[in-house]
Amino acid sequence: MIEILISIFVLIGGFFSLLGSIGILRLKDVYGRIHAATKSATLGVVATITGTFLYFLIIDGEFSGNILLTILFVFMTAPVAAHIISRSAHRTGIKLWEQSTVDELVDTYPEKERQLHQQAEKTERS
Amino acid sequence: MAFQILLNLLIAVVWMALQNSYTPVDFLFGYVVGIFVLLILRTVLRFDFYMRRVYAVFKLFLLFSKELIMANIDMIRIVLSPKLTNKPGIVAVPTRLSSDWEVTLLASLISLTPGTLSMDFSEDGRTIYIHNIDVPNREEMIKDIQDKFEKAILEVTR
Amino acid sequence: MLEIVFYSVLVIMSGSLFICFLRAVIGPTMSDRVVALDTFGLNMIGFIGILMMLQDTTAYAEVMLVIAVLAFLGSVALAKFIERGVVIDRDLD
Repeated sequence: MIEILISIFVLIGGFFSLLGSIGILRLKDVYGRIHAATKSATLGVVATITGTFLYFLIIDGEFSGNILLTILFVFMTAPVAAHIISRSAHRTGIKLWEQSTVDELVDTYPEKERQLHQQAEKTERS
Repeated sequence: MAFQILLNLLIAVVWMALQNSYTPVDFLFGYVVGIFVLLILRTVLRFDFYMRRVYAVFKLFLLFSKELIMANIDMIRIVLSPKLTNKPGIVAVPTRLSSDWEVTLLASLISLTPGTLSMDFSEDGRTIYIHNIDVPNREEMIKDIQDKFEKAILEVTR
Repeated sequence: MLEIVFYSVLVIMSGSLFICFLRAVIGPTMSDRVVALDTFGLNMIGFIGILMMLQDTTAYAEVMLVIAVLAFLGSVALAKFIERGVVIDRDLD
């Protein structure tokens, strides 16, 4: 019985890891790729590690605090890393995908950085 | 709140001393007894019972787990659809939360839930710029975020 | 039965690691590469978790934790570097 539970956790983990990677390969701009990386990959890893934790807790009877700490750490750092990567990407003038509708963040930048964005657009066209 | 937790721990230790056996199980039992003692004392001493906040944290955690699973079902739909038809965009969402701590928690929760990713804050930290993987309707999306998480976070901190 | 599941998930995970590697190689911008490497680190944690179960030892638990820390610090440092060319802000206002 417990083997089935662990198998389900591990299989879900593997599936979502693969889904995150496919998302990284398929989506068209950096921001979409960050979406795939934070959501699917995080859930995949957390599911796999939960399976590992249950395996050692129930089959071996060994409580491993390190594994629990890893789960907590992944949950805490994934949004922060996504936030800082997307911010740096947008500030260095990486454009959104053509199908994007609104961008209210560019309007708040000082004049110098907005020129950077327009420059990036020009080089794209030429 | 810190005073109440201290009081609760004290009750647990006294309980262990009364039982004259110092095991973790006795401590846990004493702690549960302490919770009930505080629950009764609440009406006499007129303080705000701290287990209410623990309950709010628990509710926030449940909401978060549900949203995380919904987020991934959403991602499956977008990533595995044969043609990419989603319309991404960056939207400014104003927030009612006031302290930095609350805004940080909100931004982290937003990043882990369906189709949204917090990208930047305004100067005063009261507006979050959110990249959304599919924006069919701007106003609806803003309302959705404000309704869902702000309420739950406010219940924990206020 | 568990072993079959573990081995098949190891195959899936290595495919996922390979796709991340591809994106890190072809990614048109630096940010793409940072995202790919971040995900690479995350997937590696899951990989080691399965290896731990296969070999029936908790000795790699610290390895997982260290990889998680390094992947996070690496992506933050690289992102800061792309943004301004400075990794540590010295002006503490």
